[in-house]
Amino acid sequence: MKVSLFGRIASYIILSCATLFALFPIYWTFITSLRDRVDIFAQVPVFFGGNLSFDNWASVAGDPVFLSALLTTIMVTVIATALTVFAGTLAAYAIARSPKFVGRKSFSSWLIVIRAVPGVVLAVPLYQIVVGAGLYDNPIALAICYAAINLPFSVWLMVGFIQGIPVQIEESARIDGANQFKIFTKVLLPLLKSGLGATTIFVAMLCWNEFLMPLILADQSAKTLPVYVAGFVTSQTINYGGMAAAACLCIVPIAIITIAVQKQLVSGLSLGAVKD
Amino acid sequence: MTTKVAKSGKGLGIGKLRSSVLQGHSIYLIPAWLLLVAVALVPLLYSLAGSFTNASLLNTQSDFVGFDNYLQLFRDSRFVDSLLNTLLISALSILVQMPIGFGLAVLLNRQLRGTAFFRTSLIMPILLTPVAVGLMWRLMMNVDNGVIAGTLRMFGLAPIDWLGDRAVALWSIVFVDSWQNTPFVMLLILAGLQNLPDGPIEAARVDGAGTFRLYRHIILPILSPVALVVLMIRVVESIKLFDIIYILTSGGPGTATQNISLLDFRFGFTFMQTSLAAALGILIAIGMMPIFRLWKRANQE
Repeated sequence: MKVSLFGRIASYIILSCATLFALFPIYWTFITSLRDRVDIFAQVPVFFGGNLSFDNWASVAGDPVFLSALLTTIMVTVIATALTVFAGTLAAYAIARSPKFVGRKSFSSWLIVIRAVPGVVLAVPLYQIVVGAGLYDNPIALAICYAAINLPFSVWLMVGFIQGIPVQIEESARIDGANQFKIFTKVLLPLLKSGLGATTIFVAMLCWNEFLMPLILADQSAKTLPVYVAGFVTSQTINYGGMAAAACLCIVPIAIITIAVQKQLVSGLSLGAVKD
Repeated sequence: MTTKVAKSGKGLGIGKLRSSVLQGHSIYLIPAWLLLVAVALVPLLYSLAGSFTNASLLNTQSDFVGFDNYLQLFRDSRFVDSLLNTLLISALSILVQMPIGFGLAVLLNRQLRGTAFFRTSLIMPILLTPVAVGLMWRLMMNVDNGVIAGTLRMFGLAPIDWLGDRAVALWSIVFVDSWQNTPFVMLLILAGLQNLPDGPIEAARVDGAGTFRLYRHIILPILSPVALVVLMIRVVESIKLFDIIYILTSGGPGTATQNISLLDFRFGFTFMQTSLAAALGILIAIGMMPIFRLWKRANQE
């Protein structure tokens, strides 16, 4: 579409303002995390420079609770992502390749239910069930919950990717005498590499960010990063520098991943919206 | 040779048909079903059963009380208030996010130089941990030393207590949610715009349609399925909103920003009224029914 000079200038101005608006809070949090109390409590905001150091980062990173939360978050994210991508890919295979089978419809319905229902609705009974089963504050129990609530994303994404692969490839492998397991593992999975990558990255990000489930189902030993970071506001005196540093430490991995694999994340966001 | 292949091909077709009916593709769903049953079906049934009792975390014995919890909820002003807050947050965030997201998508779709940079920067907020987003804005909206108050002061204006003022707090929640999620609308609409068929647009252009009429009569109708999906997802997410409210205001001041999720959380874990929380959960799930059906229809199209 041709855009007039005026239109182009106006577009640039609006997009620049929007970008500034999107990035400023991230910048501000970062710069706050590098400041000492005096600068943070300055009456006139200091937008650039000042006395900058990584002291706040060091004090957060040196906190043993932070370290254990970081390790727990990594562990839960890895287990949950593996579980949900595994279960989701298998289910997506059946859904993508056959229009009708026992339980297909009700499965789709339950995916929508778990996607749309507010997390608290599930978390209240889950708390009682998990406590009753002696699994409270257990990272594995947490990972199972994460895996389930992210299942819709992995199924819907993988259905799309599998449908993008011509079914003829599987049929010719079948003619060559490959069994179902071989077709799935040796023929289909290698072709799905990039799709699996996109799904894994997207789901891992959602697991990393999850707050409600660990807030309710975990205490100390399965405390995750978002819960640890949230602790900065619930404490009596708010340590703003530490809070900013903790927020930064929580989003640094995501920022790195965003820059490294932007394409996969974008496809996750847009394709994971809905799919049969 | 050729007949052999044809034969085995035909046999394969029948075999496939039979296999999908007999041994079934159903087995591929087993791991996924296990997750759904454990984390959705069983908890919902557990809540349903619990909602008819007077169980709480404080007393171990529980009796059957029929619909008492449900009746109590309907008489509870906190329930009505939180329902109104939820609907208000949802409606306002849709009104903010859809038009702005759409507008930004249209601008990005102009393929100007630097579009890639703008797009990457603009989607950053969606990917951030909601808890961290809450902290970031809490830092900035603080009335004493926040950067927004400080900037207002620089211009001689009185700072506003964005999170502590009853009249403003709910708007602040909508504002922060929109900061994080408007890019989602933008991204999906942009994808829709980039997949538009050239035919109708070219035809309209040849017929002399201006940009406004082109959008109004050609592009919007073609985009409407995508826009509806985006709308539905944003409605659901705004109803589910929890993390940002929990961090920014915890539902306060008073109950000014307490939505239905937060109230359920309070019932369950602050007031320890487990059965009341269960009943509220069931009511929420029932209330979401129309959305479940809408989503199902969207999936089929």
